[in-house]
Amino acid sequence: MNRREALKSLSALIATGAVAASARASEMQGYPSNLAVADEFLPRPAMDGGKMHVLTDETALKTVTAVFDRLIPADDLGPSASEAGCIVFLDSQLADRFGQGAQLYREGPKLPGADELTQAPQFIATPRERYETGLKALEAYAQQTDGAAFADLQPDRQDEILQGMEEGSISLADDINTKAFFELMLQNVREGYFSDPIYGGNKDMVGWKLIGFPGARYDYRLYADRVGQKLDLESISLIPLD
Amino acid sequence: MANYKKISTRILVLGAVVIVAVGFWASRSSNTERNAVADDNVALADFRSTDIEAIQRGEYVMRTADCAACHTQGKNNMAGGYPLATPFGTLVSSNITPDRDTGIGQMTERDFFNAVRNGQGSKGFLYPAMPYTAYANLTDQDMHDLWAYMSTVTPVNHAIDENSAMAFPYNIRLAMLGWNMLFFDNKAFDGDADGADRGRYLVDAGGHCSVCHSPRNALGAEKSDHYLQGGQLGSWYAPDITSNPHVGIGDVSVEDLAEYLGTGTNGQATAAGPMAEAVEHSLQYMSEDDLMAIASYLKSVPASKTKAHTALDASLPSMKRGALAYEVNCAACHGVEGEGMGELAPALAGNHALQGEPNNAIRALMVGARAAATHTKLTGAGMPSFAWKMNDQQIKDVLDYVRNSWGNAAQPVTPEQIERIRVGMQARDKMIDGY
Repeated sequence: MNRREALKSLSALIATGAVAASARASEMQGYPSNLAVADEFLPRPAMDGGKMHVLTDETALKTVTAVFDRLIPADDLGPSASEAGCIVFLDSQLADRFGQGAQLYREGPKLPGADELTQAPQFIATPRERYETGLKALEAYAQQTDGAAFADLQPDRQDEILQGMEEGSISLADDINTKAFFELMLQNVREGYFSDPIYGGNKDMVGWKLIGFPGARYDYRLYADRVGQKLDLESISLIPLD
Repeated sequence: MANYKKISTRILVLGAVVIVAVGFWASRSSNTERNAVADDNVALADFRSTDIEAIQRGEYVMRTADCAACHTQGKNNMAGGYPLATPFGTLVSSNITPDRDTGIGQMTERDFFNAVRNGQGSKGFLYPAMPYTAYANLTDQDMHDLWAYMSTVTPVNHAIDENSAMAFPYNIRLAMLGWNMLFFDNKAFDGDADGADRGRYLVDAGGHCSVCHSPRNALGAEKSDHYLQGGQLGSWYAPDITSNPHVGIGDVSVEDLAEYLGTGTNGQATAAGPMAEAVEHSLQYMSEDDLMAIASYLKSVPASKTKAHTALDASLPSMKRGALAYEVNCAACHGVEGEGMGELAPALAGNHALQGEPNNAIRALMVGARAAATHTKLTGAGMPSFAWKMNDQQIKDVLDYVRNSWGNAAQPVTPEQIERIRVGMQARDKMIDGY
């Protein structure tokens, strides 16, 4: 940094300081009197009672439901992923910021070897687009290899295909990172099963009850000294029903 | 039809009031003879006191009378413009700077005394929203000092139309003559304002505590037989501050009460809303002795008749729901046993205001509340709104729980009270009620 740049940055710093000081002064005139939580900080619940916004294609909906229900099947531990609302959860997420990849850097260029360099697969496509192409390719794969819809295959055969995707032995299409698509679905089905019920999944807090998670509580001082005891705390949603 | 009926009732009321008033034109209520002690020659705009001590004493009187609360809106000291919502329409506070055209610059000291102590201003009768009913008690000395202080206020040209938003017939200033006839007790303070009766003087004169803390009748006059027993004030409720040990201050020590008044909180009582303004603008400037005098006097005020309730049974399903909601949402700040967090979050156990009229507690849950921030306690406690995550029943459950636990006992809150405040405060509905 030369002398001119140093002076420029210094004056910029002073200018910022002055602005910040005056902004702070006006804040201190009085506390904000409106203590209602601003809308942008409130949770964004899935509120349409299961109506689909993104997963509107019937085949795609059936395919992803079949996948999710193999990843978390109904058994004596609890209901399946779709019974617990994970499809509603997924649709709601895909319709909102997650689906838009709002937090991801998606400007090009994506150079060959980028995935290896960053040690994680990189995507220009949004998660929403990846579901759209991925589910279509999975269905096409099932039609091609088994002559039937993925959703109509036997559970064993579905598991076989999913395992192939996970291990990387199956490639759904040249332009699809099949392993990464499997991992995306696995991540999202877990999130749906264990997120707060207000987001559509974890219906009746089945996921939380399964693992004994007490939910959206603030304070554990009441229990801090009960080390090693089974607490059996009731699970609480962020917005409890009653 | 209903409107027509309302207007004709108002005309009848006004008519009756005027007729009664005219008959007693020279009655006691309009008599300003005792203000003859004030100079009637020099206008405020032409006067500038040089008596530093009188000015300082006058500033203290201004603080104790909390003039700034209504007459300072924004940064122009005493320039008025503060809208006061009354049941009779909106009244706007006057410009009381020494400005000749739009303020009180043309008033003499006598005119000033007439306005402050008798409610007779340059435009006619003042509205009793200006607490001349209390200021009538101000001593001659305090008034002279206040006049000296007013002469040092910077004149601001700010024209105010005080009463054009008042509903008929209340927009007629002369109607206040009748009101004064009926309700204005026009007499000087009857005790030792600087000695034995200092507390009562501060409460009844400058402090004008009863203006909010006493209930009012249909014509907006304080019910003197319910002195300081609590009154509704817009969306807030000014609680019972008599010596009632259940819902008043009978069970609070003089020291704790003085701490609350001077700093905004004593860890249990916490000033929010209009009381936070009173603490910030007025009470925190008062001397320790004066605060102790106020506290001692309040503890001597005869108790209201409100009786202690029997606490709700903790085994009721609603109390159990309330207990869980309290543990999850409230206990982090208000304590697992309602013990609070000092000045940052009031204790709820043994909190008397909490066990009285539930208006303010519902209001706090609905839209949050901000406590006073004072020179000694810089951080005003902040209560967030819970409207987005609790429906009316859930608010009822948690309020019934805190009002009936840890030794507290109070009447169950009604769904109507909660609904009225959710609507009245335009609080949002619970985000999802069933999914």
